[in-house]
Amino acid sequence: MGNGTVVPNAAVAFDKGRITYAGAQNGFTQREGYEVVDVKGQEIYPGLILPNTTLGLTETESIRATVDEQEVGTMNPNVRSIIAYNTDSDIIPTVRTNGVLLAQVTPRGGMLSGQSSIVQLDAWNWQDAAVRTDDGMHLNWPQMILKLNPAEDEKAVEKRIKDRQTQLRELEAMFTEAAAYKNLPPSRRENLRLSALGGIFDGSKTLFIHADYGKEIIEAVSFAKRLGVQKVAVIGARDAWMMLDFLKQHDIAVILSRTHALPRRPGDDYDLPYKLPAMLQQAGIRFCLDYEGSMETAGSRNLAFIAGTAAGHGLTQEQAITAVTLSPARILGIDKDFGSLENGKSATLVVSSGDLLDMRTNNITHAYIEGRAFSPENKQVYLNRKFRGKYGMPVGVK
Amino acid sequence: MHTSIPRLGLVSGLLLSSLGAYAQTSTFPRNGVYDQRPGLYAFTHATIFTDYKTKLTDATLLIRDGKVEAVGTNVKIPAGAVVQDLKGKYIYPGFVDLASGYGLPEVKPAERTGRRPPPQFESKKGGAYDWNQAVHPETDAASDFRINEEQADAYRKLGFGAVLTQQPDGIARGTAALVTLATTGRRENEVILTDRAAAGFSFNKGTSTQNYPGSLMGSIALLRQTYLDAEWNQRNPTKEQNLSLRAFQEQRRLPQLFEVSDKLNALRADKLGDEFRTQFIIKGRGDEYQRIADIKATGAPFILNLNFPDAYNVDDVYDASRIPLEDLKHWEMAPANAALLAKAGVPFTLSATDLKDKKKFLPNLRKAIQYGLSEEQALRALTATPAELIKAQDKVGSLKPGLTANFLVCSNRLFAEDNVLLDNWVQGERYQLSNLPADYRGVYTLQVGNRPAVQMRVAGKPEAPELKIAMAPKDTVRGAISVQGELATIVYNPTPKDKAASVRLSGYFTPETRQFQGDGQLPDATLVKWSAKRQEVASQAAKRDSAKAPEPIQLGSMLYPFAAYGRAAMPQQETVLIKNATVWTSEAAGKLEGTDVLLVGGKISKVGKNLSAKDARLIDGTGKHLTPGIIDEHSHIAVIGGVNEGTQAVTSEVRIGDVLDPEDIDLYRDLAGGVTAAQLLHGSANPIGGQSQLIKIRWGGTPEDLKVAGADGFIKFALGENVKQSNAGEANVLRFPQSRMGVEQVFVDAFTRAKEYEKEWAAYNKLSKGKQKKAEAPRRDLELDALVEILNNKRFITCHSYVQSEINMLINVADRLGFKVNTFTHILEGYKVADKMKAHGAAASTFADWWGYKNEVRDAIPYNAAIMHDAGLTVAINSDDAEMSRRLNQEAAKTMKYGGLSEEEAMKLVTINPAKMLHVDNKMGSIKEGKDADVVLWSAHPLSIYAHAERTFVDGRQLFDIESDKVMRQEMEKERLRIVQKMLAAKKGGAPTQTPVTKATGHFHCDSVGEEKELDK
Repeated sequence: MGNGTVVPNAAVAFDKGRITYAGAQNGFTQREGYEVVDVKGQEIYPGLILPNTTLGLTETESIRATVDEQEVGTMNPNVRSIIAYNTDSDIIPTVRTNGVLLAQVTPRGGMLSGQSSIVQLDAWNWQDAAVRTDDGMHLNWPQMILKLNPAEDEKAVEKRIKDRQTQLRELEAMFTEAAAYKNLPPSRRENLRLSALGGIFDGSKTLFIHADYGKEIIEAVSFAKRLGVQKVAVIGARDAWMMLDFLKQHDIAVILSRTHALPRRPGDDYDLPYKLPAMLQQAGIRFCLDYEGSMETAGSRNLAFIAGTAAGHGLTQEQAITAVTLSPARILGIDKDFGSLENGKSATLVVSSGDLLDMRTNNITHAYIEGRAFSPENKQVYLNRKFRGKYGMPVGVK
Repeated sequence: MHTSIPRLGLVSGLLLSSLGAYAQTSTFPRNGVYDQRPGLYAFTHATIFTDYKTKLTDATLLIRDGKVEAVGTNVKIPAGAVVQDLKGKYIYPGFVDLASGYGLPEVKPAERTGRRPPPQFESKKGGAYDWNQAVHPETDAASDFRINEEQADAYRKLGFGAVLTQQPDGIARGTAALVTLATTGRRENEVILTDRAAAGFSFNKGTSTQNYPGSLMGSIALLRQTYLDAEWNQRNPTKEQNLSLRAFQEQRRLPQLFEVSDKLNALRADKLGDEFRTQFIIKGRGDEYQRIADIKATGAPFILNLNFPDAYNVDDVYDASRIPLEDLKHWEMAPANAALLAKAGVPFTLSATDLKDKKKFLPNLRKAIQYGLSEEQALRALTATPAELIKAQDKVGSLKPGLTANFLVCSNRLFAEDNVLLDNWVQGERYQLSNLPADYRGVYTLQVGNRPAVQMRVAGKPEAPELKIAMAPKDTVRGAISVQGELATIVYNPTPKDKAASVRLSGYFTPETRQFQGDGQLPDATLVKWSAKRQEVASQAAKRDSAKAPEPIQLGSMLYPFAAYGRAAMPQQETVLIKNATVWTSEAAGKLEGTDVLLVGGKISKVGKNLSAKDARLIDGTGKHLTPGIIDEHSHIAVIGGVNEGTQAVTSEVRIGDVLDPEDIDLYRDLAGGVTAAQLLHGSANPIGGQSQLIKIRWGGTPEDLKVAGADGFIKFALGENVKQSNAGEANVLRFPQSRMGVEQVFVDAFTRAKEYEKEWAAYNKLSKGKQKKAEAPRRDLELDALVEILNNKRFITCHSYVQSEINMLINVADRLGFKVNTFTHILEGYKVADKMKAHGAAASTFADWWGYKNEVRDAIPYNAAIMHDAGLTVAINSDDAEMSRRLNQEAAKTMKYGGLSEEEAMKLVTINPAKMLHVDNKMGSIKEGKDADVVLWSAHPLSIYAHAERTFVDGRQLFDIESDKVMRQEMEKERLRIVQKMLAAKKGGAPTQTPVTKATGHFHCDSVGEEKELDK
């Protein structure tokens, strides 16, 4: 169901894009008018939500003309990802056929990269796609690099630390002015950057801070709180295990970067990234999973397996499902409509013939976005059919 | 007539006592009157070490004209000798440094402009020299050498009298000169003892701006080819006038010095030397103790530095956690390196050259002695060994008649804490290092006028003394003492509360009576006589005062590898019986439930039900799954110094096997993912890349241990965007090929040349011995050798490939020129030409679901593996990625989702199928009696995302298991904490510290260019 519960022999009904029933099949009595799809033996899940992605912004990493994820300069709070979201990307159909139905399309680069928006993955254009526009502001926290290599001069280290402090002061000045700016009378001269930051001070936008190192997380979160930012979440957080108490104490939500990753230090537990979700779960920290990293757009169809790995390393399967459904919906502020199979929520769901989290069994047979079935076709399915045909091979059910 | 030498009170090092030289260069004209002095000196009553082990007491050293004339206890002093009575003092042979750049121009790195320069294919040097700018054996240090007072002084202060000098630049560096550090009134003509004393080498191309070599394996290949070319050039002198090759060949008779960056490169250098009957003298980094048995086995003598790292600043818990274990441990162990090498019987010499702060040389040397090096070994390493290594024992390194008069005069035993280097005599020239009359530190009875005698203590360093005067018990005041020559001044205030109560004493020190005396003035203007008589020397006082003995040196245990998750030794091969598991055989037998597998002597001994075996360790496999070890057909882990040569279109001469890194943590992580073997490939930056290396993940072994003995050799080819440099930036548009059209021509050209080359050799080899001697031998070309091997089915191709046109092209070229493509790797459009691949007989190793990251993979589909499999190809799933490598079982499982492979077929994609394409399926890849005991026990269905590798066996050794992993984590944490505490104590004790490194870890991928790993995002 996405909320941590599993109902065997269940039925889900929806009408006009909204769920009207979700529960045990024998409890579903108002069958009139519903088209019945028998999925006996299969499993129904809420559509998976992919936070923090460049899906639709970047088609082919190495071809510059197809990359629309980063602007010039370090402070671009006014930049908005939604208008660059390409609904006709060849990649999107390959992602949704693996169960990912919603995505937070996120700009990259600089210190303030701009604003993300949340889209559903079956749309004619970006306006249709938008589920929540300009939901969050993305801040890349300057890294705390001490020494680059043992031979580096201690003076160069000091200079880097100093430069970083200058950056942080600039950031602080910008935030301070933005907080005051929103109170200026409307006759003010428009400053697009300061205007854009307004939403993080009244809670209409979440400030997503991208930081990995434990000390950076403390520093960044404290910065945001001190300057009056209302909603804060941390993205990346590969060292979150160092900072569990802090995150818990400040009730900071975490979007964990792709856990199919190597540990950051040679001495780290070999399975540290895999078990990090369970560590957060156990500490009572709100978290969800993303697929940020190299080749992230094409690879993001593996989101379910990121959750599967977490389930193999300490989460229950239900907890793992929540980490890619209801939990991201809450962190992204769309849980009123998405993230779980509950009455009144959007009928955005998938049916898999087997366990969604395991590549052996993950096999989407039906999928709906806001009650609308979409085509299971994608470029790859087409090429498979075409070339199996060439060799006279059966195409099979898959 | 016996006279003593007046001591001049000049600042040491600036002393220019005798401007008339002892051995003026006879060919030079002279301006003014003749001033050639006899340089006849006798040093009497000294304790003399004539060499590192021979000590003479109350002996005499006689030198004349810059050379030792006599030494002994019964030397007759000739008339006219200047005699210096050195009673109570010590004489040692002057030190020799074999790694100096003294008197040579500083090596300046090539200037970098902002933009990346276009590729440079040939040397910019010009002239009849080598094609490669980093190979310049014609460089002759003696020609470039200029006396440099400042540099000489820095070495002399440490006790050195002679150095071997060479610019540390390039791969074949040319000849080094042995020179003395005499400067006063000298000409280069006099101080050069041997103009060509040694030849120098390294793997580092230094200031060369040429692209090749762009990797460590390229450097090794370049040297290897240069050896062959130099021999060939000597035999066929009319073929090509090549001054570099001639010099290279001529220098082979000289001692061969090789500078390396770490212990593994030391092993690599030695291995290269073995190929050409050369024993290098290796200048190491100071980490040799980490692989002492292998270092010893090289038989190489070493030049060691005394660079001991500063402790890290570990105050911050988080930052400290970023310091790799090996760096923590190296801090602790580095001072023990020399002692451990000595104990192992590795010959070595010590060099001061690499010390950033040269003043640390003697303190660090004493530290090395504290850590177990004997004084005799230390002295030997500074005198006799360096001299012997460069065959200069008839010139320097001891004090025998006829040798250069290089020696030290010391106030005490050389390595004693309170020893003062008084004079460093170089070529019979005195360089006064200390103008102190003697070591005057100690405990004195101070008598000032009629005042009561008090105790005065002089401590600190002779050049920076500290003074304390005990006015009464528990009433000690500090004062100042300054000693210049014999003259001394003391100021102190016996009653510090009264600011205007200082006492001033001036006078002189008499070493014989150990007494200061003179005149002073009290605060009330009274003039007084004063004296201070020494009761005890400082060292005795210090010894008596330190109630407790110095703390014994404690060192952590050795780890193999010397890194996180290293062990004291590699686990033993065991007899193991795994009971009642689900056994995935990857054979026709398929999946066997409730089955036992017995491992004996590194092999799978039995597979069956209800097995039993004496002495076997039993492992309960109930509910678990046993599979063959996973084989990653395409990996770039455990490679160091670059994975691509790529600076030329064809680099078949480079070998991944030359640059294995058995300490890469990704090896251990692979074991934890059930991987037991991997093919390490050259990258894909050029059409014909380097030779591959099949390894087993023998964590804890040496580079050679990793190699799978007897396996067929492979080589990497590549096609498409990487080889035509489509994504390599604006600077890279010159190297041929830049289009797929050119790629074909590279192959056609290379194999055409290879065929001609083979014919040439065949014709030559047919000749009789006599005719061969007269005929011109073809040039041995390592690049073409590898291609000839391919033509003769002795080396096999793994070709990086994506789009169908190029796959088709290579198959066509191969068919036309008569070779086979063994494996297409990546092969993301293989599904389009599976029939053609099948007809050619190629296997396919691909990704499960990668696509979309560049133009040539836009048509990649995850159904590729299944289609190729169904078309009858041998198919494998590979990683090309250190992270994915440890989840290859899951990647294989994706073929069940995409294309509907059965689970047993899916498992074969990462076990027996890669074994087949690597030609090791007779030994690896399945669970079958007689095969290698490379097996993995999984917690659950091995293709499921929930499965963990619980135990991984390689050759019957349990190299990974979750239990010992846990134990190692704890032990590692304990070890870290122990050293952290030690560092904190060191910092508190005033030791300098350094900031921890926040170096992100890095990895190689197919398209990684350069020697450094790409930093992970």
